[in-house]
Amino acid sequence: MAWRAAYRLSRVAFTELSFQAIYAFRQGNLLPPEDASKLSSRARSRVLQSKALVAGLLGFLTLGGALILHNASYVAVRLLANPIPVPVFQVGVLTALLSIDVAFLWWTGLQVLPTFLSAGVLPVLEPLPIDGPTLRQTAVILYLRLFDLPVLTLLVLTPLLVGLALGPLAGLAILPGIAAAVVYALALALVTGRFFIRRVQGSRGGGGRTILRWTYLVLWIVPAFGLFGFVTLAPAFFGALTSLAAAGPSAGFDALGASFPFSLASLPALVMNGASALPVGDGGLEILLAASAGYFLLAVGAARWMGRAIREVGMTPPGVPVPADPSPPTLRTTGAVYAVLVKDLRMASRTPGYAFLILLPILDAVALGLLTFLSGPRPGTGTSLALGAVTTAALLATFFGPAFFAIEVVAYSYGRTLPLSERSLVLGKVSLIGAIYLVAAGLVLAIAVLRVDQPLVFIGFVAAEFPAVIAAALLELGILFRRARTRGLPLVNLYTGAWVAVLVSIPGLLVAAAPLVAFEAFHAYPPSVAIGAMALVALGSFALIAPFVLRKRGS
Amino acid sequence: MDPASANGPVLPLRLDELSVVYGERKAVDRLSLEVRPGEIYGLLGSNGAGKSSTIKSVVGLVRPAGGTVRVFGFDSQKEALATKARIGYVPETSMLYEALTPHEFLEFVSGVRRLDPQRAADRTRDLVTAFRLTDEFDEPIASLSNGTRQKVLVVAALLHQPPLLVLDEPLNHLDPRSLRLMKDLLAQYVKNGTRGVLFSTHAMEVAEQLCHRVGILDHGVLRGEGSLASLRERGAEGDATLEEIFLHLTQEDEGVRAALASLERT
Repeated sequence: MAWRAAYRLSRVAFTELSFQAIYAFRQGNLLPPEDASKLSSRARSRVLQSKALVAGLLGFLTLGGALILHNASYVAVRLLANPIPVPVFQVGVLTALLSIDVAFLWWTGLQVLPTFLSAGVLPVLEPLPIDGPTLRQTAVILYLRLFDLPVLTLLVLTPLLVGLALGPLAGLAILPGIAAAVVYALALALVTGRFFIRRVQGSRGGGGRTILRWTYLVLWIVPAFGLFGFVTLAPAFFGALTSLAAAGPSAGFDALGASFPFSLASLPALVMNGASALPVGDGGLEILLAASAGYFLLAVGAARWMGRAIREVGMTPPGVPVPADPSPPTLRTTGAVYAVLVKDLRMASRTPGYAFLILLPILDAVALGLLTFLSGPRPGTGTSLALGAVTTAALLATFFGPAFFAIEVVAYSYGRTLPLSERSLVLGKVSLIGAIYLVAAGLVLAIAVLRVDQPLVFIGFVAAEFPAVIAAALLELGILFRRARTRGLPLVNLYTGAWVAVLVSIPGLLVAAAPLVAFEAFHAYPPSVAIGAMALVALGSFALIAPFVLRKRGS
Repeated sequence: MDPASANGPVLPLRLDELSVVYGERKAVDRLSLEVRPGEIYGLLGSNGAGKSSTIKSVVGLVRPAGGTVRVFGFDSQKEALATKARIGYVPETSMLYEALTPHEFLEFVSGVRRLDPQRAADRTRDLVTAFRLTDEFDEPIASLSNGTRQKVLVVAALLHQPPLLVLDEPLNHLDPRSLRLMKDLLAQYVKNGTRGVLFSTHAMEVAEQLCHRVGILDHGVLRGEGSLASLRERGAEGDATLEEIFLHLTQEDEGVRAALASLERT
């Protein structure tokens, strides 16, 4: 009975959660001047659309994985440079798929959790005469409803598509793996969310503490980097797997068999091909099966823990001990543009979703910089990898426009009462985006300085792309602020405003990619010509977009 | 050109035929009023009377459906930045960047207002000390109580010593000490004879103590306006309190008696 009552409560609470997620009314935003029931239904449909978008992306990834599995013998033997036994390849693909599922769902959780907390839905329910178990169950259902479509997509589509690709038994055998992946992702989101409340959101101001906060963010954002990192490092993973498979049974393969998600991803291959299909040593199969059972039991434990913890997390205010001797208040005043830039950085340092986006190109630069460094002194290779890293950073930067706009929407109402022009606001955000791009490029060069055999080409490439990165950011922010000005439409986070964020990123992506296409088109010519063409395209797009976005308005 | 220099002293605030509409609902209906130099003007009204909508259109949060808002002669629609530079605003609800600390928030506000660094630092120190915010100065706003958040908003509004203060229920959540400080501060604030204060409140006794003039709003329409003395002349009795005048002008006195009688029966 309690679950039924909890479900009924969660329906009402979820409507409120959607409303707060989209309009952030409790955070001080003003509602657009429309009928409240229309706003409420629009909020519900926007959240549903965003969940559908995430579910669609996960479904697309699963379909891609299933297609590769279906054609495993062709890909594993014909396409890869060094052929790999088909069953081992299948395990590798499923490992990649489960890893990406965990990372993507976890990342989504990081985006959603601040909304879950700031909406303040659970504290509203708490004083009502509702018994403890019902409140706990309501909190669980509410949390799960944030992920329902993506989770259902994974739980239904993965066994179905793996079953179609490898056989019905394989489809059944992947169920424990995908179930564990889902539970781990949701639990990790909650654990990191709780950590976020205690150590990051609740952290006091001050230079030393800011550095500590960013360190914390890096520490637990690194695993969430898995989604992107796995795509980047996939060739290295399959290379290592091929070497292990070629070496025959070994302790290395047994160790891999004991790891997550490799062990659970091995079950379909074991079911379909038998133990001899994998190069496991003596006792290796037992290790693999015991690890699988262990990870599944751990997932069951994690699910039970979540059942208790969600209510507590939803109710926890960020607590900060007051120092015995507070220092006298001081203030450092700067210009408006710099004030916006610093404010965004400070807000991101307490908001993991935004911190993740800022750190993504920087971590990617570090990863690719290291790869460049490890690539050895082969002529041309270092520069190519370094240019690849910069290209990635430039394209990733196009997702910052919507993210930094979303930062502004929180308490946007107060910002609108200040004498702050839209131009200064946009310039502050664009400066930060430009700075992140340059830091990422600088990191690649710093790490891989010995391997970049044409440093001038690298520096020219970075400089030529820079105006396009700025133009893309200007275009995206220009569109978003215009939309906010005319429709009063807030975009609270990238999850609840996913459609708008994706749509706005498309023109930005085109602008950022145009100089890269020009570089490729002139690749056969000397580097100075290719970079010159690139710079022309980038400067052209900047000259077209900047005056339009930065023109002075009446106010 | 600054309208003040062109036409001599101008009013801190002047509303002409201001209308605010939400969908089908008219929240403010052709409201005209002015806040004079050296004056504290209280906007009184029941819930939903249009007080907050009026204030939001003054500070630029709501676009008026009709009429004009002028702050020291500047049109709030055509010269929004000049208008906003002259206003210090305390909102009804906590509109704050919760991920910032008061310290970081005030640095942002002073940067946007392009304040002189030394003066801003001195002013902040004095205000933070006066409102006893020192302990919470470097704590995230998300962890602060409603009263402390309200104090942060008051400090932010006073930081640039604006010639017009616009306060929407500013005394909500404040503790008795801060309440007293705020009341004395407002009275002192307009003493130089050039500044003005517009504030909305439900608290009749506060309005009675503080305001030089009050305007009584009901369903977006101004039912009465003037000093307490002039309103008394229109009231039911010669020594009526502001509360009695308010209920009389909004024709709620009978309604209150009827509601009480109905509650007694049940």
